[in-house]
Amino acid sequence: MRTIATVFMKSVTPQPIEGLSSDRKPRPVKIIRPVSFSPVGLFRELRGLWQYRDLFYTLTVHRIKVRYKQSVLGLAWAILQPLSLMLIYTVIFSVIAKVPSENVPYAVFAYAALLPWTFFSSALTNATTSLVSHSQLVTKVYFAREILPLTYVSAAVFDFAVASSFLIALFFYYRVGLTVYALYAVPIFLLLAALATAFSLFLSAVQVRFRDIGVAMPLLLQVWLFATPVVYPLSAVPLRFRGIYALNPTVGVIENFRRVVLQGVAPDFNSLAISAIAAAILFPLAYLYFKRVEATMADII
Amino acid sequence: MIDLELKKVSKKYRIRREADADAKASFLRKFVSSRKRKEDFWALKDISFNVQRAEALGIIGHNGAGKSTILKLLSRITTPSAGEIMINGRLSALIEVGSGFHPELTGRENIYLNGSILGMLRREITKKLDSIVEFAELRQFIDTPVKRYSSGMYVRLGFSIAAHMNPDILLLDEVLAVGDAAFQQKCIQRITELKKTGTTIVFISHDLKAVQKLCDRVILLKGGQIEADGEPRETIALYESSSRNLHTQARAAEGQQPSREAVVTSLSFYNDQDQECLAFETGMPMKAVLKYEVRKPLVDVIFEVQFYSQESRLCSFFSSETLPGRIHLQPGEGSINFDCSSVGLNPGVYFVDVGIRNRLAPSGIDIDWRRRCLAVRVDYNRNLRDTFYMPHICRHSPPSESSTEPGETDEALVSNTTS
Repeated sequence: MRTIATVFMKSVTPQPIEGLSSDRKPRPVKIIRPVSFSPVGLFRELRGLWQYRDLFYTLTVHRIKVRYKQSVLGLAWAILQPLSLMLIYTVIFSVIAKVPSENVPYAVFAYAALLPWTFFSSALTNATTSLVSHSQLVTKVYFAREILPLTYVSAAVFDFAVASSFLIALFFYYRVGLTVYALYAVPIFLLLAALATAFSLFLSAVQVRFRDIGVAMPLLLQVWLFATPVVYPLSAVPLRFRGIYALNPTVGVIENFRRVVLQGVAPDFNSLAISAIAAAILFPLAYLYFKRVEATMADII
Repeated sequence: MIDLELKKVSKKYRIRREADADAKASFLRKFVSSRKRKEDFWALKDISFNVQRAEALGIIGHNGAGKSTILKLLSRITTPSAGEIMINGRLSALIEVGSGFHPELTGRENIYLNGSILGMLRREITKKLDSIVEFAELRQFIDTPVKRYSSGMYVRLGFSIAAHMNPDILLLDEVLAVGDAAFQQKCIQRITELKKTGTTIVFISHDLKAVQKLCDRVILLKGGQIEADGEPRETIALYESSSRNLHTQARAAEGQQPSREAVVTSLSFYNDQDQECLAFETGMPMKAVLKYEVRKPLVDVIFEVQFYSQESRLCSFFSSETLPGRIHLQPGEGSINFDCSSVGLNPGVYFVDVGIRNRLAPSGIDIDWRRRCLAVRVDYNRNLRDTFYMPHICRHSPPSESSTEPGETDEALVSNTTS
């Protein structure tokens, strides 16, 4: 019986079989071996991600939907977060302590940097716990695991877009004019997103083994915030510390983001280059590490 | 045409000792603890087998034999420690239905979410949406958040999505043991359809009856190795006979200390015809015979046979505490019978614990305890729905003109007074 069935299948396979198998696709052949990763394999992995585009899209929409479902303020939360930080910092650093703000009102000065910073920090916070909080899925179904942290990064992009609208409103209110240099904000933001992705991949994979990371995240991000020119301008940092200060990869992106939208001048390509080099090094490393952990993730999560 | 091939596949797990377990995720302990604390455990060792196209392979074995490890390897949830697995075709695994559901989202939204997690494209899902909803019988509830679904609805939706995956290779776990009987029937029908169109099936289960019904070939696993591979009836018979003798099985599995004061030497179940079996029906009689050996005098002991659900919930048990008086034992061999006139368990697969313990000892300190040593299957019959079965006999006195249609089999049970 079995032989007959096999022969039958062979002869029919070229034509679509009616009903159930009408949309059967060519068979991919997959070989599974013990974990061993090469940089070449990394490209294959990246290419393979394309087949998960629908999952990526569905999960991203899901993140956004779930976040604002059953909340009264809904989407407004995307604006409220950087806005409330702006108010707090304006009171502290403008009213109480006089921090220079490069000849623009402190509120808009702070918001223009808090906007990309909030994106970065919320992407990292959510992505870090993404694997562990989906352990139910990770131990039950296979899909490229990097989709999980990545969807949190993309959901943060959405929040960023919503919160950007408020920056425009602030510009009108304070009569700050945009110049053509503001278009630089797009590649600068993409660079920031690349950094966020690299850190998200790395931290989420570490979190699988060491839950300490999740606990340490709020503190880490707090320190990171003050080590980045968000509430003060880069020019306020003493020159002798600038060298070591600029090693922080978020310095170049955040400072330049504010510079192009607020000052309306060309970005400082030196500091931007440091961020770009950091992203180019960190991303493959983080991805390699992630893939290594991924292989046995389901056993230790 | 080979669809699945395992070549000398092994899987090693690293087990942490108790003292280390609570420090699972601590950075510091990682450096402090010595390597010796960790032990390697081989869940699978040098497993090789092929599955032909359109073949249905069953994999059976006791808990801990390596069944679920094979499932996890084939579904790519984890990777092997050694060896190679070749998968020819789109594989989809039905491991735990509905595990990707989000309670706040509606049924429709969850179909997209779950479908894309399982690997379907949105466009494919949209095309199959109606058919999925129809199969799950959830048309009215499809825009209701799934948190308001009953567990049955949950399972139906989960299976329906997975059943529409249309894979080349289908991996099945115990999924068939859930849901009501009518739906189970539908699932089996769907799987049979898939099989007919050339889908290769790997079915990993405790449910021997379903394995026998569905599979062309069965592999029996024992201690991470293949014990037998062949014709379903023979392999299942081999498994059933190995289940009987607990003594050797448990000793092989966990290295029993011979210092125990008493041990359970065997546990067998019998049906109403006094045949030994592991499959029963709700409402039917069941008998369990537990044999034991006492080495040192014991005071005030009880014997228990416990039934656990798949989710490890204790569902019911037989206990010698129902006997009047206390049991004191002298060295020697003995046996104890539990006669159950009608099984109250709902259909499904139940794992059995059997043991002897001191009546006053806190639970966990046992004289001998065999955890999840057998799997008993309870089949559907017309007695059951909902959470448990209450034994009852039905007598009917209808008005004189009415008639009762004769049933398919047991019309004699209904007295028809129209004559």
